[in-house]
Amino acid sequence: MIKITIDNREIEVKPGTNVLQAALDNGIDIPHLCYHPELVPSGGCRMCLVEVEGRPNPVPSCGLQAAEGMVIHTRTEQVEAMRRDIIDLFVSDHPLNCVVCDKNGACALQKYAYEYNVAETSFDFELSRTLYQDDNPFFIRDHQYCILCGKCVRVCDEVVGAHAIDFSQRGFVTYIATPFDVPLAESSCVFCGSCVQVCPTAALLPRNKIGKGREWELERTRTVCGYCGVGCSLEYALKDGEIIYAQGFADAPVNGEFLCVKGRFGWDFAKQPDRLTQPLVRKDLAYELGLTDEPWELPETSVLKSKPKAENYIPVSWEQAIDITATKLADIIRQHGGNAVAGLASARCTNEENYIFQKFMRVGVGTNSIDHCARL
Amino acid sequence: MSVLIRIGMSTSDIAAGAEATYQALESAVRHRQLPVTLKRTGSLGVSHREPVVEVVENGQSTLYGPVTPERVRPLLDQHFGAGHRGVSEDWVISRRNDRSDYPFLGLQTKVTTKLCGVIDPYSLDDYLAHDGYEAFKKALKMSPEAVVQAIKDSKLRGRGGAGFPTGIKWELLRKSPGSPKYLICNADEGDPGAFMDRATIEGDPHKLLEGMLIAAYATGASRGYIYVRAEYPLAINVLRNAIRQAREYGVLGQNILGTGMDFDIVIKEGAGAFVCGEETALMHSIEGKRGMPRMRPPYPAQSGLWGKPSNINNVETLASISSIILNGPDWYAGLGTEKSGGTKAFALAGAIQRSGLVEVPIGTPLRRLIYDIGGGCANGRELKAVQLGGPSGGCIPAHLIDTIIDYDELRATGAIMGSGGMIVLDDTVSMVNIAHYFLSFTQDESCGKCVPCRVGTRKMLNILARILHGQGVMEDIDRLERLCHTVGKGSLCGLGQTAPNPVLTTLRYFRHEYEQAIANRQNGHEAALAA
Repeated sequence: MIKITIDNREIEVKPGTNVLQAALDNGIDIPHLCYHPELVPSGGCRMCLVEVEGRPNPVPSCGLQAAEGMVIHTRTEQVEAMRRDIIDLFVSDHPLNCVVCDKNGACALQKYAYEYNVAETSFDFELSRTLYQDDNPFFIRDHQYCILCGKCVRVCDEVVGAHAIDFSQRGFVTYIATPFDVPLAESSCVFCGSCVQVCPTAALLPRNKIGKGREWELERTRTVCGYCGVGCSLEYALKDGEIIYAQGFADAPVNGEFLCVKGRFGWDFAKQPDRLTQPLVRKDLAYELGLTDEPWELPETSVLKSKPKAENYIPVSWEQAIDITATKLADIIRQHGGNAVAGLASARCTNEENYIFQKFMRVGVGTNSIDHCARL
Repeated sequence: MSVLIRIGMSTSDIAAGAEATYQALESAVRHRQLPVTLKRTGSLGVSHREPVVEVVENGQSTLYGPVTPERVRPLLDQHFGAGHRGVSEDWVISRRNDRSDYPFLGLQTKVTTKLCGVIDPYSLDDYLAHDGYEAFKKALKMSPEAVVQAIKDSKLRGRGGAGFPTGIKWELLRKSPGSPKYLICNADEGDPGAFMDRATIEGDPHKLLEGMLIAAYATGASRGYIYVRAEYPLAINVLRNAIRQAREYGVLGQNILGTGMDFDIVIKEGAGAFVCGEETALMHSIEGKRGMPRMRPPYPAQSGLWGKPSNINNVETLASISSIILNGPDWYAGLGTEKSGGTKAFALAGAIQRSGLVEVPIGTPLRRLIYDIGGGCANGRELKAVQLGGPSGGCIPAHLIDTIIDYDELRATGAIMGSGGMIVLDDTVSMVNIAHYFLSFTQDESCGKCVPCRVGTRKMLNILARILHGQGVMEDIDRLERLCHTVGKGSLCGLGQTAPNPVLTTLRYFRHEYEQAIANRQNGHEAALAA
């Protein structure tokens, strides 16, 4: 560990830590817009400039490696004035229509404009770009809100590996684009939405979020994604019990903030009327087991060949369902032997679950007929 | 008795019509079966008299210019005894071998441009006949450490503009762990009006290659890149030819001259971004990425091209190396000042009587360059300022004309040495306009990565435009100064950090012009109200 001093506070940090992260980890807030702990620091927003004793000019703390004995000041008159000017420059090229903005309350630029009391720009207001792109079903790109922090570009490159977007053009009119401005669907984009996740402003928004409520009106529910065995944690933002959007959160143990297209955008099944939410037993079996008084026979066209109809089933508890399955399975094995049974495992289960399942099939049931959907 | 006729065929000569002159010369020599050896050379730097033709007869050299195709015949007539009709003394630039009769050439001290305009850039033999690759062979007999020490002792500082001591840079690469090591030559000469590197490459490409070879030997680099802007097709062509020749000659490739040293050079053409002259952006560009600067550290010597230890030197820096090794570091250091050795080439342009490429020792007073060499302002106008260092540089006012050309002295004026663009401004020029011109360039060329540069330069430009269009207010000057500070101190790379210099220096020395432009407007406004 090495010792550095930030704003007269001595702190210990691991060698190799950048000063911004060291400060954040110790509860010292250095303003920043383009820094993300999972991404290589870019130093583009210039908000995290600090003064280091012995250095003539301010240094971006995100790109400054802590060194033994380093003395850092994050709130000197000079850097605070520069930060205020930088926010001033940002808002000279960013609509301040926060009252109708979907990012209101979660916008990093808004936060700093508030902190530094920048109500409007003192320079001339001039939007460098007004491009609005809604070329895909998942999220929109509203370039007038983009502050070119480049986090979307870096997350796409460094975390996702899709390299779908980069900076295009130069100077004031620089913007983020796909190669040759092709629609996202024609680019290498995988629609994981990680760019939307890290965007500090309203430049990238989940399409479904638009007009559905301000950030502070939304409830948050954390859960584990059910799509595959990875077990990513995610957080649903809800309003009146309806999912508005899904996002990752930093301390999720498996995936951090990042999700794939299914977890982030594929949650509309949650409120589908035909979603299976509890175990069901077909009515003929239910009658046989005495779970219903109503006799019922299989129609001539087998239900196995047509879409199951809800009215042909009755709901049971998990205990009942497992009990029925175990009894039936045991009967089959007793009558026909283990080889009469085959098992098909699911990619939605974890490795451990799949392992246990095959062990159960081989040892418990006594069959080698075991397969997995991922092999298909 | 054969006569040698040289004709400058650099880009600037060609722009002045040298192709037609060459064709006229060539066909006349052929038809009249004259005993003439015709040699295409690079540029002598006499841009104001191009196309330039030199006739060497019995060891006596006469330099003519401009030589239009119509002037070819009378010239040949004169030299080959067919009469003296039509040759005007005005065509003669110099009749003396040492050029002492033409101060533009006679007062220069040429090191990197010494053979430009003398040798055929496509001929390795010509280079070899002028001690070519002797410095490299001499360096091979020294230890790499001794070569680094020699460069340190020569007090050579980076000619790209920043002036970092070259020897120290080499030592950093030499000592940096990791392999392979890369040596990069920055030939992305982007300052408006600057063409020193182009002229050097077009005139004497092997000098650059030899410098790179010595650098590679001293630093342990095994792969070289020359990053040259695509707008220099002739320079690229000359370089390609030279690299091929060097490979055939055995100084590039594997096991060079039987020493076991491996080194080869690849040309990478730029795609027209000024910012790619910045070393980290340049490396990104070579890697095939968007040319955007990144934060330093890590410095290139630690983690450069492809994440490997790398060293980047400018063309002029590398072109100085062979002369240092051959003549010794003391000779080179002795040319300059106490802190900075050698010579510096400048592209003298603007309202100057004699424009062109000039090379003078570090420490030369600006006055000597502008008046003695350049002949002062054209059309008898008064000198107002000298703009040095292109868009990153500043304006030195006429009253500071005795400033000497030296990294630190120039920095004290608010300008910078820069890569060598020198634009002379006379008293007809509006300094607000000059600041606006250079800032519009920087603003266009900002990569867009950091806010102070991307938006800040735009705001500065808007303010300048307002003042120029008679819509400025006095507070605009305060705003400008504030922005200069934020952009200069807050930007990520050298482009943004130096972008305010043209504004800062014009504000410092010509503030009254800003105030006047604003006051004129306000007076006009009040007059309008009163009426």
